[in-house]
Amino acid sequence: MKVSKVIVTLLNGLPETLSLLVASFFFASLIGLSMAWLYLRKNPILSDLAKIYLGIVRGTPPLLMLLLSYFGLPKLFALVGININDWAKIFFGIVGLSVGWGAYLEEAFRSAYLSVDKGQYEAALSVGMDVKHAFLQILMPQTFLIALPNIENLLIGLVKATSLVYVMGMVDMYSKATDLSNQNQGVYQLEIFIILALLYWLIVLLIEWLFRMFHRYYRYVEI
Amino acid sequence: MLLEIKNLKKKFVNNTVLKGIDLSINAGEVVVIIGPSGSGKTTLLRNINFLEQADSGKMTFKNKRLNLANLSNEEILWVRRHTAMVFQNYNLFKNKTAIENISEGLIFGQNKSKKVALQLAKKSLDSVGLLDKQDFYPAQLSGGQQQRIGIVRATVLNPDIVLFDEPTSALDPELVGTVLYDMKHLADQGQTMIVVTHQMSFARNVASRVVFFADGEIIETGTPSEVFDHPKNKRTKQFLSAIAEDY
Repeated sequence: MKVSKVIVTLLNGLPETLSLLVASFFFASLIGLSMAWLYLRKNPILSDLAKIYLGIVRGTPPLLMLLLSYFGLPKLFALVGININDWAKIFFGIVGLSVGWGAYLEEAFRSAYLSVDKGQYEAALSVGMDVKHAFLQILMPQTFLIALPNIENLLIGLVKATSLVYVMGMVDMYSKATDLSNQNQGVYQLEIFIILALLYWLIVLLIEWLFRMFHRYYRYVEI
Repeated sequence: MLLEIKNLKKKFVNNTVLKGIDLSINAGEVVVIIGPSGSGKTTLLRNINFLEQADSGKMTFKNKRLNLANLSNEEILWVRRHTAMVFQNYNLFKNKTAIENISEGLIFGQNKSKKVALQLAKKSLDSVGLLDKQDFYPAQLSGGQQQRIGIVRATVLNPDIVLFDEPTSALDPELVGTVLYDMKHLADQGQTMIVVTHQMSFARNVASRVVFFADGEIIETGTPSEVFDHPKNKRTKQFLSAIAEDY
């Protein structure tokens, strides 16, 4: 079998993989930010809510999170009379991965926020900024820059975790590879999986390059 | 009277740091607070712009009476927008360039347009000869340059009082002179200042009034000559005789 045929077949699954990656990362970041905000509240009930979410999600394999999303969400929606059985599988994949990765992003955001020098906030207040502007102009950008290496690692981890959606029968790059291997009775299995590994690696290289560019832009910002 | 503090008390858990401070400052005065480390000098400064909140006491600032134990957010913001602070560790915003550090307070504290704020910031940077550093981030600047920009960041706001919290303590000795020069220049222009420092020569040469602080109390206050040459209190004499610096 020609290498080009393998590559073209696997790349047919790339749009699903990338859509899953981008959407999951976006929603996981929203969940992570919201949970970090809740966690840092002085209100013990809100803070405990975030801790419970963290505890459950971090103690559960991502594969299981996808299965819970795929089998559990339709039942949950059915309770309020909404039938989501026919919804696209990517929806369940995005929910499972977002909930699963949100907890790790929460930890990245929260630890970064806590490590911003307190003097930066005080300086912002001392020049007359209100709490909102001190947060938006000074604390949040610095939190983001501190969290960046962890965010990069988590995004790379998410690239690989997208392959887990095969359990729901979703057709992504990994699923295309196993299909192609099965169609050829496993004869070219190794070659197919090596090419698949290289494709995932290329995505990771691209992400690393993007983050490197970002770091280069902010190379003089030492936090 | 620009600022009057009455019976300010502050406690951290069981440690009483300020034991009822009374202090008055007139416009144009340079009040230098000296005293041993840990005596509460910095805490006093931080209570004036409410980075710490006092347990009790009264403050009158620009004829506005404030109950220090019960301040509204508006009162806190109002005081902060009429004062400015220079920090021991500079605390320049690490994610902002020199010019942004100076313009941020004008934009977000004084609602000036970005264009006007940048013009003012440029002019201020130029006045201290640091215009060529306008696009530098704090990490690219020396400690002395950072602190001088810290002073510009404070004074560009045209505050009624500038609070200096040991502005030269974190600097290498050879950089102290330039910062003190900028401070003296400000004092000469009539800027009201409260300065916590261990630079006794600055206190002697620039202060209108020296306050000796120890154990959370004002022990002695007077002109530089009164405090340094004719101290009345035993604690002041002990402190001054223990200082190696030739003041």
